[in-house]
Amino acid sequence: MDKEEKMGVEDQLEMVAKAFVNHYYHLFDTNRAALAPLYHHTSMLSFEGQKIQGAEEIGQKLAQLPFEHCRHFISTIDSQPSPFGGGILVFVSGNLQLQGEEHQLKFSQMFQLIPTQHGSFFVQNDMFRLNYG
Amino acid sequence: MNPDTLAMAFVGLYYETFDKSRADLGSLYRQGSMLTFEGVKKKGVEAIVAKLTSLPFQQCQHNVSTIDCQPSGAGGILVFVSGSLQLPGEQYPLKFSEMFHLLGIPQGSFYVLNDIFRLNYA
Repeated sequence: MDKEEKMGVEDQLEMVAKAFVNHYYHLFDTNRAALAPLYHHTSMLSFEGQKIQGAEEIGQKLAQLPFEHCRHFISTIDSQPSPFGGGILVFVSGNLQLQGEEHQLKFSQMFQLIPTQHGSFFVQNDMFRLNYG
Repeated sequence: MNPDTLAMAFVGLYYETFDKSRADLGSLYRQGSMLTFEGVKKKGVEAIVAKLTSLPFQQCQHNVSTIDCQPSGAGGILVFVSGSLQLPGEQYPLKFSEMFHLLGIPQGSFYVLNDIFRLNYA
């Protein structure tokens, strides 16, 4: 593969990462219950230090977060190829607006996306942290 | 050994090296390593070390607030760090987040395959 082709593949991965991130947070903000299918039974979530495994448990954790509505505002999205089976590492930072809260919360989140047989991606690893001022 | 313990030990080593002898960071990366530093992408030990040693400050101190880690599959560890970065002469430390993808080497330690760094501006 020559250098130009390589750059093309990475640009493609970057586009996939950005599309995934936008899709993920749109679902989170409008239909949180629909997030569970983005995870598999091997998936892991660390949410503010709490470790949860498996799509079902992760879905429950996200559904039970103590707010009904929220809105994510994404500031940065960085991505790199992960060497294992076409995976993508995605690193996001932004702000989270909770209903009724005057000030937005800053957050960072990282994902490892793994390709599925159907040409899509699922979240194998997910780590979320609020960045306190 | 507990992957959490290994990850924490590595993070400690990484930032200590960064803060005390930045040029020695090269030993923690390999030819296939990738760094994205504030959106700038570098590949390979030489380019990564050149980037990190040319940052516009001579000294700095990383203070880590949180470390999260998970196995990445096929023996790697994903590490997610947040903390603050104190630069000399600056009144307030800068907040940062960083993620590492660590792969094991035969000597029982790790190298950094993927590294993404972002300052968290107020």
